[in-house]
Amino acid sequence: MEQSRIAVVRKALSALAVLMLAPGPAAGQAFWPKETPKLPMARTWTAQKAKLPPYTPGRTPDGVPDLQGEWSGAGGDNNSVLEEHDYIDVTTPAQESFVSDPADGKIPYTPWALAKRNEMLAGLARGWPGETGQRLYTSPGSFCLTAAPVFSFDAQELVQKPGVVIMLSDDGYRVIPTDGRPAIGQNARFWMGTSRGRWEGNTLVVEVTGLNGLGWFDSTGQFYSENTRMTERWTLVDANTMDYEVTVEDPTIYTRPWKMTFPKRRAGTASGGPRGVSVTSVLPAVTNDPYAKELWETACYEGNTESLQSIHALGYKWFPGVTPPK
Amino acid sequence: MRSWLVVCAFGLAAISTVMPAPGAAQTAPAAGYTPPRTRDGHPDLQGIWQVLNTAAWDIEDHNASLGVPAGRGVVEGGSIPYQPAALAKKQENFAGRARLDPETKCFLPGVPRITYMPHPFQIVQQADKVSILYEYQHAIRYIYMNGNPHPRGPIEWWLGDSRGRWEGNTLVVDVIHFNDLTWFDRAGNFHSTDLHVIERYTPTGPDHMRYEVTIEDPKVFTRPWKMSMPLYRRQEANSELFEYQCSAYLIEQEWNNPVSPLFEKR
Repeated sequence: MEQSRIAVVRKALSALAVLMLAPGPAAGQAFWPKETPKLPMARTWTAQKAKLPPYTPGRTPDGVPDLQGEWSGAGGDNNSVLEEHDYIDVTTPAQESFVSDPADGKIPYTPWALAKRNEMLAGLARGWPGETGQRLYTSPGSFCLTAAPVFSFDAQELVQKPGVVIMLSDDGYRVIPTDGRPAIGQNARFWMGTSRGRWEGNTLVVEVTGLNGLGWFDSTGQFYSENTRMTERWTLVDANTMDYEVTVEDPTIYTRPWKMTFPKRRAGTASGGPRGVSVTSVLPAVTNDPYAKELWETACYEGNTESLQSIHALGYKWFPGVTPPK
Repeated sequence: MRSWLVVCAFGLAAISTVMPAPGAAQTAPAAGYTPPRTRDGHPDLQGIWQVLNTAAWDIEDHNASLGVPAGRGVVEGGSIPYQPAALAKKQENFAGRARLDPETKCFLPGVPRITYMPHPFQIVQQADKVSILYEYQHAIRYIYMNGNPHPRGPIEWWLGDSRGRWEGNTLVVDVIHFNDLTWFDRAGNFHSTDLHVIERYTPTGPDHMRYEVTIEDPKVFTRPWKMSMPLYRRQEANSELFEYQCSAYLIEQEWNNPVSPLFEKR
């Protein structure tokens, strides 16, 4: 799971990058030259998976599809910018959108929500396109906070036990009951929401509700609300590739349901090769290291004090979530 | 922070009126109980567990105060064998605990403190490791059973480096490589980076485990000492871990506080 260690370094660096007008690469950070061809994401993966032959995964002793193993994250610019974009800096190369539906790769915000999204983009103050330079909010990632669905964008190990799917990462976990139990009352809201899973054929379907609406889809203020429902679909398309798709629904801020998709690769099957859809530029091959598969403590929040204090001193506000008009 | 400490206290107090928290001396022996096995053939400790005691506030005997329930300690023999200078520091910590306790900053609370926080945790077993998922701060701890020794130090981790083995029905976990920033409780009991923790998780019945901890730290204590307490399986049919994202609640609460210690430069 060396990918996940790198993902955490990137996460921490993207937190720091908020503070720098011209963020540069550092140790462990992917370095993308300006001439890097546009990295593939949802559009390319959608075309690829349409051509794949049917695949039937093995079964666990309990008779459900066996999705277990260590899975890479989405790769590319590490979820820095969700929609299609040109080269921005060495950590944010040109990349296709995560959004597969609508086909234009844009989140279908209502007019009110689009105005709010543009206001948030304008207030990021990190020297990127579309900003005014005034400081409004920073990504929850700057505070080492992970929310749904971003946890699924990163690497994790998937473990199955009777009636439950467990996802383990280096800085958190997710426990998804598949025993049919109802979700907790919707007055109870969480960063990760409440996940309820079920099996549809070979696919693990996870309904995420009870979200607190404070998380972002990326680092640029793409948001959801307390009313948002996310439906994830996890499907093995070959022994070493997991198709990840999530449908996002919220009539209070989007004009229609929309989808994101990318593949996750089984750890160790693509050394130096594809990570997610795209080819990563730096993934050190760890050989003969007995600890290479271990996940070690990252303590992102505990090590983030100076960054937290700087963001606070710069006058950013705490993002309180959005309140859609009635 | 006071408000949520009070909430925690009353939550626990409500439970305690139904079922008084047993002290260390009442921990039942494991004699005769054979736990079920996992597919790998090891004792199956999986499930959601929680303590029912007041060790989170003070691991020694203590009276009640505002937001703090009285309780028996979990230290075997009653008191912690501090060296004289260390005892003075513990007393300083106690006096300044509202400001000094690392829990007030929502940092990872260390081992064994994370076990007896007033939140449940879930054990997940695999062939190469035992994972403990804590509701507090989404913390996760991997206890590797893959034959690797502790990695070479010096390393300073909040939860240390955990290596496990089975001794009969007992999961024995050896933990080193700690930083010196965590406490054992909210009463200022502390350690140095030389802390060595040995945890023993022994099933005593289908819904109970005995949790024993040996603490060694020659820089702080005159001799090794032990804690012990029962762990209880959560009995609700629909029990599950929820989320206590301490850091998020704290940052949100303190963001507009002009004198917040969270943003004080050190």
